[in-house]
Amino acid sequence: MSCSPFDLKEYFLRELSQADRARVEAHLKSCPGCREEMNRLRLTEAALCSLREEEIPRRIAFVSDQVFEPSPLARWWSAFWGSSARLGFAAAAMLSGAILISAFTRPTPRPVVNLSVPTQSAQVSAQTFSGADIDRRIRQAAAVEASKAVAQAESAHLAEIRELRDDLNRARYNLTVAASEYDFAARRQGLVNVAASGYAPPKSDAAGESR
Amino acid sequence: MIFRAVEDGDLIRQAARGGVEAFNLLVSGWEKRVYNYLLRLTGNREDALDLTQDVFLKAYQNLRKLENSERFAPWLYRIAHNEAYSMFRKRRPETGLDDLPPESAEDGIAVGGRSVFPMELSLSVTAALNRLSPEQREAVTLKIYQGFKFEEMAEILGCPVSTVKSRVYSALDLLKAELAPIGRGVS
Repeated sequence: MSCSPFDLKEYFLRELSQADRARVEAHLKSCPGCREEMNRLRLTEAALCSLREEEIPRRIAFVSDQVFEPSPLARWWSAFWGSSARLGFAAAAMLSGAILISAFTRPTPRPVVNLSVPTQSAQVSAQTFSGADIDRRIRQAAAVEASKAVAQAESAHLAEIRELRDDLNRARYNLTVAASEYDFAARRQGLVNVAASGYAPPKSDAAGESR
Repeated sequence: MIFRAVEDGDLIRQAARGGVEAFNLLVSGWEKRVYNYLLRLTGNREDALDLTQDVFLKAYQNLRKLENSERFAPWLYRIAHNEAYSMFRKRRPETGLDDLPPESAEDGIAVGGRSVFPMELSLSVTAALNRLSPEQREAVTLKIYQGFKFEEMAEILGCPVSTVKSRVYSALDLLKAELAPIGRGVS
């Protein structure tokens, strides 16, 4: 164990400040144990430094080659993403773009009754017409739309009636076909039953001869 | 080191704008250190050279992301550390980092004819380093051989400074016991 005010290894490895180094050096002058420890460390370092660095077997050099050299676009891109200010600007631009796209592509709610044409004309002439005129025009527009809605409902109702009538005719035809098939099957079954009971046609020629 | 840092800063700025020549100058100043760091990590010259090339290629491609040119060294070594450990995982994905093969003393990476120290000392140092865990060995390499501060090492290794200190101190204790046993200290 060392009695030095600082770790001798830290002093030996030149990691202490100048003032701390001076304190350790003052301590080393008066402490034989720490001096011996320091000598061992210096001997170890000297032994380690007996291994010399080798020369590199082949020198390394680069040539200007487009394969290895980054393209101007890659440089710009790297610089762009490396800059925090530009990155912030890019983020703000993307956010603005997203807001604009959302504003233009979001579907607007549809009105229940389409009053576009009369309403536009009412808006345009609202400054010159009185309130009564505006009310009258609104009532007219509502009447027009109501009549349109009634006409649409009537036509839909008529189409539904036509469809029901066609269904009824088809059902009636199917019923007729089924009845005739049933009648034919019943007759056939009757003939089969008669044949099975041993019916033989009358022999008129033979009876005449015997007479 | 100050002039070197200033020069590196200019080269880094030019290389970040696509200057290949500036980057080549930067490479020439750092390739030996990075190669030796990777050599101590891998224990294999071919791997170290391949990794060094990959490190500088990746550094060139990502140099614009380096905001502070003064942090170039830890940033570069962080790439080197990641490349080395990525190679280890690819080769032995089923094993942990503790199971990485140690360098063999016979085929030691620094047992060459260039050392001015006796061959026996180099061998014993290599053997002592091999007894360390891979994490301890890397910590010693970064601290003793590459001269990084604890804070920079934490950045390179991606762990807290306390962990870095613990690795370096425990490694130093082991190395001291091997290379400078009690009673052999110089006075």
